[in-house]
Amino acid sequence: MHDSVQEIAKTRRFLKERLQRDYTTVRGYESERNNVRQLLQRTAEMGESNSLLLIGPRGAGKTTLINAVLTDLLENKSFVDNTLIVHLDGNLHTDDRIALKSITVQMRLENAADGKVFGSFAENLAFLLQCLKAGDKKSKSVVFVLEEFDLFCTHHNQTLLYNLFDVSQSAQAPICVLGVTCRLDVIELLEKRVKSRFSHRQVFLFPSANKFEDYVSLFQHLVSLPSNKELQAAVDRIDSLQMFKSDAFTFQRNHFDGVEYAFDKKHVENWNKQIEKLIKTPAAQKTLQMLYDFDVSEAFLKTFTFRLVAQLKADAPHITVEQLTALGAQYECDDKVELLCGLSVLELCLLIAIKHHSSIYDRDPFNFEIIFGRFSKFAKVSTTMQGVERAIVLKAFEHLRIVELIMPLSSSGMGKVQKEFEMHKMALTYGQIQQAVQRYQALPTEVAQWAQSSII
Amino acid sequence: TRLAEGTPRRSIQLSNIVEQRIFNDNEIISTPKRSRSKLADEVVDEDYTPKKSNQKTPTRPRRSSTTKQPSATKLKEQAPLTPSQKLKKIRSGELSPSMEQREQPVDESRKSQLQLAREQLHVSVVPKSLPCREKEFDNIYSFLEGKIQDQCGGCMYVSGVPGTGKTATVTGVIRTLQRLVEKDELPAFDFLEINGMRLTEPRQAYVQIYKQLTGKTVSWEHAHTLLEKRFTTPAPRRVTTVLLVDELDILCNRRQDVVYNLLDWPTKSAARLVVVTIANTMDLPERLLMGKVTSRLGLTRLTFQPYTHKQLQEIVTARLAGSEAFKGEAVQLVARKVAAVSGDARRALDICRRATEVADTADAQPGGIKCVTMLHVQQALAEMIASAKVQAIKNCSRLEQIFLQAVAAEVTRTGVEETTFMGVYTQIETIAAFMGVALPAPGRALHLCSKLGAERLIISEHSRHDLYQKILLNVSADDIHYALRVESN
Repeated sequence: MHDSVQEIAKTRRFLKERLQRDYTTVRGYESERNNVRQLLQRTAEMGESNSLLLIGPRGAGKTTLINAVLTDLLENKSFVDNTLIVHLDGNLHTDDRIALKSITVQMRLENAADGKVFGSFAENLAFLLQCLKAGDKKSKSVVFVLEEFDLFCTHHNQTLLYNLFDVSQSAQAPICVLGVTCRLDVIELLEKRVKSRFSHRQVFLFPSANKFEDYVSLFQHLVSLPSNKELQAAVDRIDSLQMFKSDAFTFQRNHFDGVEYAFDKKHVENWNKQIEKLIKTPAAQKTLQMLYDFDVSEAFLKTFTFRLVAQLKADAPHITVEQLTALGAQYECDDKVELLCGLSVLELCLLIAIKHHSSIYDRDPFNFEIIFGRFSKFAKVSTTMQGVERAIVLKAFEHLRIVELIMPLSSSGMGKVQKEFEMHKMALTYGQIQQAVQRYQALPTEVAQWAQSSII
Repeated sequence: TRLAEGTPRRSIQLSNIVEQRIFNDNEIISTPKRSRSKLADEVVDEDYTPKKSNQKTPTRPRRSSTTKQPSATKLKEQAPLTPSQKLKKIRSGELSPSMEQREQPVDESRKSQLQLAREQLHVSVVPKSLPCREKEFDNIYSFLEGKIQDQCGGCMYVSGVPGTGKTATVTGVIRTLQRLVEKDELPAFDFLEINGMRLTEPRQAYVQIYKQLTGKTVSWEHAHTLLEKRFTTPAPRRVTTVLLVDELDILCNRRQDVVYNLLDWPTKSAARLVVVTIANTMDLPERLLMGKVTSRLGLTRLTFQPYTHKQLQEIVTARLAGSEAFKGEAVQLVARKVAAVSGDARRALDICRRATEVADTADAQPGGIKCVTMLHVQQALAEMIASAKVQAIKNCSRLEQIFLQAVAAEVTRTGVEETTFMGVYTQIETIAAFMGVALPAPGRALHLCSKLGAERLIISEHSRHDLYQKILLNVSADDIHYALRVESN
């Protein structure tokens, strides 16, 4: 009994780690991967200068593809010896000054010492350009990986991009500029001289699982356990990578490593059979179809699977259809309706008054006085809301504003107008209020009736 | 703060003081700055090659000195430098910048025909004489030769869209002139070159010019005064200086003092400066520059027209001379396609290079020889010119496609390009009910909206605006219909 508990814990840990930390495994994208790999290989071996843009929607595996290609290439020594890799990120390197310092450090130029760069911005740029100009086919190739490439386009004059592309188009040190972005129209952001210098190679990555069957098999792959042979192959691959503990690959320090996991053969068979059975059930298919209709990206499926795997316990040792559908329902539900159900009856009454006002005047803006007038009409004839003071209603109105169920018309108008008279708009659809009224626990009948008709 | 940029940091001075202590220097620590720096220079002179002149304004350019500089590897043998010492050496131009060398050099021997062609087609391989630019070459050549012969100053403005061979032609002319100087058929001249895009701000132009004259890096104020002195005071045996200013429009700031100075120096009789300026737009002097600057720029202008398809074909075939890697009609297809879009030579060469890569990975021809055919070029063209929007729409999830349809429907309904999320959501309700799909909650629809916005299929505001955010369609409605109609069939 104790043994099986441990086995479950191990399975859960294995699946979680594989979901989170396996940075280098790519499924599909054969031709794109070959394209990028050959480009980098030619840069390293022939000393060619190139530039390339990797474009695809968020969560399509762009970074994973580059990681995979680089780890593939790092296995052969001729690549390691002949190339420097410089990683830049548009979110971190927010202007050319910071990016340039980072380049200087990563290329280990003469004016950098232990991560500290000397000299001004202009000096750094001049020195980097001189260094690249001094280089030729005998010098090391440099691979620049620019993640969030579109953010580099917002820098002043696009100086960095111009200079990198210019080096790649002139007889200087061989470099390869690899831009990664999710914007399809990124080329339009480039200035015309930068655009002219870019080689217009674009690799588009669209989600590999573009059929529902592929999506289901991807899910099956994510939750099933590998056989010992497959596990050993993966371990060997990771071990060969660990040989090159270069500074450029920080992800390798904490990479998923299957070495500590060895599963009982019977357990693996059992588990995989269970998964296969699970996937065939119509309820599971329906949930997966719902996810697939919403978002086809692998990243989305992975977060879903992670939440599913996290539910594995000793007393619930298998992923069940019920868990799957319950989790799917969580994804489907409306968070704002949940928020509405947590409001007090007074706040809900105010929202109903706002809804009435909106439907009568076709979504005209409103202020506290209008709504309070409408609410008082109802409160006078109701039996539960009679004694409510104005100050309390104002507080409830303010609470609605803080949780952003109602929004001020203009943020600049604050302070000029008294808070009772400031105009607002409602950030809810009528359907959401309707749902909230239906789902609200122990709502007075009067309020429910008032919500149906605005006669009072 | 500008002043501080050029001056050495305090830490550098401190480290000098420490060194003086350590090496038992009997100089008093609180000596004035000037004399201390002189001392440091003398120490340098003992350690390294003595090539120091104490003259403040060098009358002769010292460009030749770059070749004599001790290489970085040589320096390392003697004593490890502290970073601040290194920086000092970089500033004084004594430490030549270098790249790390590769372990194995590139193997030149075994290369296939396609690889050779690919190397020849690389943009960086500039031919000795540019095809199809003979007339422009003669124009610039006669201008520069005349100015150098007459020993007077002047300006020229060269314009044209990117990739039409402006910089390559000008540097080609300069190279020809330098060869003439070597043969003593022309008086000697100096050549300086700056590029607006390689500067962090316009005023760094002074620094770069001064650096090319002497090899030293100083602050821009200092460089400005030194250059001013050099160009305005008459000196015997001054040779003509040719200054090439690339990307002139970047050097224009609001005050336009840099451009003014660069164009004002040639008017001084003492300067003997010839300035060749390059920019993209033809009407830049009239549009951007002030009257006095335009006046100084003069009317010696030259425009580079975009290449026609015949010229592009000639350029590519000239590069491929002697090689049979390309079929004739393949080159023609590239030339015609590129000439129709931009007339950019870089574009044509890049497409040809991509085509060789495609041919390389494709299966060999029946003859056993790999050759770039029309099909390969067509694939390369599709990769490099075609847009991927239709494909992106096809690869969207079902609800994302519905969202796009809803935006298009809302545009048709209202007749206005700009829609709000609320209107789009009511359309989604309709379409979802019509198609029998479960209606996504508004929160999930907002998620779809931001996802499509990240891809730039639509342009949306920050989702803080919730139901009231404005949405614009970034693809044409026809693209959406095409992508979804074709898929459903």
